[in-house]
Amino acid sequence: MKEISRRSFLTSIGAAATGSLAISANQALSQPTNILSEDRRGVLVDTSNCVGCRSCEWACKNAHGIDAGDIESYKDRSVFNNMRRPGIDSYTVVNEFSNEKNPLLPIDVKVQCMHCDKPACVSACIVGAINKHEDGSVVWDTDKCIGCRYCMVACQFQIPVFEFEKAIQPEIRKCDFCYERFKKGKLPACVEICPLEALTYGPRNELIKLARQKIKRNPEKYINYIYGEKEVGGTSWLYLASRDFQSIGLPKLNNKPAPGVSESIQHGIFAYFVPPVALYSWLGAMMWITKRKEEVKQEKEIDYV
Amino acid sequence: MKKFYLIVIILAIATVGLSSKWQDNKDAKPQKKSVSKAKTTKTGKEKSNQQKMMKKLYTNCKTCHTYEYPTKSDPALVNCPRSKMISVFHRPEEGPIIVKMNDIYGKYGPVIFSHRIHSEMSEMSGGCNGCHHYNTTGPVLKCKKCHAEERKREDLSKPDLNAAYHRQCINCHRQWNRNVNCDGCHKLKENDSEQKIAILVNAVSNAQHPEIPHPEKVVYETKYNKGKFVTFFHDEHNKIFGIQCIECHRDENCIRCHDINRLKKGNNISFQQKKIHKTIDEHHKPCVACHQKQSCDKCHKSNIMDRFNHTITAGWALKHYHQTISCNKCHGGKIGKVNRNCSSCHKKWELGNFNHSVTGIILNENHKEIDCESCHENKNYSVKPVCNSCHDDKNYPKDKPGRIKSIRVVSRK
Repeated sequence: MKEISRRSFLTSIGAAATGSLAISANQALSQPTNILSEDRRGVLVDTSNCVGCRSCEWACKNAHGIDAGDIESYKDRSVFNNMRRPGIDSYTVVNEFSNEKNPLLPIDVKVQCMHCDKPACVSACIVGAINKHEDGSVVWDTDKCIGCRYCMVACQFQIPVFEFEKAIQPEIRKCDFCYERFKKGKLPACVEICPLEALTYGPRNELIKLARQKIKRNPEKYINYIYGEKEVGGTSWLYLASRDFQSIGLPKLNNKPAPGVSESIQHGIFAYFVPPVALYSWLGAMMWITKRKEEVKQEKEIDYV
Repeated sequence: MKKFYLIVIILAIATVGLSSKWQDNKDAKPQKKSVSKAKTTKTGKEKSNQQKMMKKLYTNCKTCHTYEYPTKSDPALVNCPRSKMISVFHRPEEGPIIVKMNDIYGKYGPVIFSHRIHSEMSEMSGGCNGCHHYNTTGPVLKCKKCHAEERKREDLSKPDLNAAYHRQCINCHRQWNRNVNCDGCHKLKENDSEQKIAILVNAVSNAQHPEIPHPEKVVYETKYNKGKFVTFFHDEHNKIFGIQCIECHRDENCIRCHDINRLKKGNNISFQQKKIHKTIDEHHKPCVACHQKQSCDKCHKSNIMDRFNHTITAGWALKHYHQTISCNKCHGGKIGKVNRNCSSCHKKWELGNFNHSVTGIILNENHKEIDCESCHENKNYSVKPVCNSCHDDKNYPKDKPGRIKSIRVVSRK
């Protein structure tokens, strides 16, 4: 009986390992959920009603167990001197923009996760830690997150933030549309506290109708555009404003959903792990065949000698 | 035989058709009757009372219903918003002095709103409708009649009560204060004892509208090349011509007058700080009502105009009572040259009934008796009187034929 050489043994073990890994990985990695419910919720932000009281910032911190401090300290308007982005301890911030038409009525714009209908972060997350739920919210799961920060790169609104200061178990953080409160039948914390109801919470379809109605009734007050209706395939948060949205800090984006291109490539390559398995098994087969040929050749050479 | 059957069939169809038609008529008749019955039941006292009531409210059925006989199941109401139906024609005095707002449970106590002061000034900024929008005829509706107290609700078309209140107030108040602090209107509940509320209610009820600072003159730099500057003397128009604030300042932003920063600075105010975007017609609107027939160069000058001075313009100084009376009193409707003889206006002033003290000089015993012409040559009273026809060593402004009376100048209203 012919002895198994070291090389052939390793080859066969390698092939077997690749196959089993492919199968186990396929089972272990949970597919991210991306529910696009007809009845999904949204928020219509009417920037003409926002006065920049920042109570939403305070309420948001309280709802997420972040130290919010005294609400009186939020009256300080000097924070508006710089543009702010959501951070690890503030999932929403309000920015202020000057208004040439009336300098005494500046335009205040709340920034938070837009909760896209086709979220790029969900598609980018390799461990399925970010999921879109039936209420429209895009929520991250800290237990699954491995800290690859792909979602930060993918998000076109630059919303997810990473705890860079934390050495052990850093997390990705962002607005979760108060998913825990939604499950209890409560409104998102920011919506609940807003004294002017600049944030209107309701079914997204109805909010779009409401926004159209507002524009129709006050054509001088609003520009005829609902930001978020079509941006990157639609977002749960919608904005109305008196002027061009780029001038109030909202990025100009394509109507095509962001995951469209990346997903087709990524998912194409890794679909059910068939392509990688096929690739490695083909490589294995090739190696085995070439090895076999060499062995046969060697055997023949031995015969002649 | 076949023909006979055909006729029978046709006859049968015809009778069925007719009877069904008759049935229709029969059905229709009682309906009509019921309508007329409903109408007749309201005759007499009830109907006249209803009509009286409707007359009082300036309405008829069509104000609210699209047709005349609405039913309970089909009220055929006119579509909301009923902005055209707004009929809040009350005067500020009819409304309450204060309104205590205490509908929303929260950490704050009641807001005491000075309704009277706000309503008195509202005329200059949109009127009652500014707050009482979509009000139907009759009594003024409460906000919570339409605005839900709960934020989580089905109908999203209207803001909830909390938002409705804030939206009414905050746009003016944030411009005035330059902040959005809650304590401007709200008092924390924990600090609000019954006593403190009573003090607050009393203070707000008795509050008077603060004095509104207004400029003496405003210089507008216009784009009109032939005369760039328009100088507007605010106090003249207001005090001398007696033009009310509302006649020019209609539908304006409260902040035009209410500005906490301006008030602090006192009277040294620049009213040209803020540029207001208006069309040419809008700019001229307040002026043309009076200055309609005048040419552009009446107001548009190449340099800043001096204040109107009667001495310079007319060559006749206004003295004593003349300073206090309105222009029209002497000039009539049209401003122009006026006969300067006192008697042209003061027709009753003749020797015997003329009291010389109105001129400011009470004549002494010696001068009381002599003729007017002895001092006022040729009865020309606008020229200085002469003394040297009798006195060689006397000269008028230096020496006087009596004692000077101090004249109380009555301020204009």
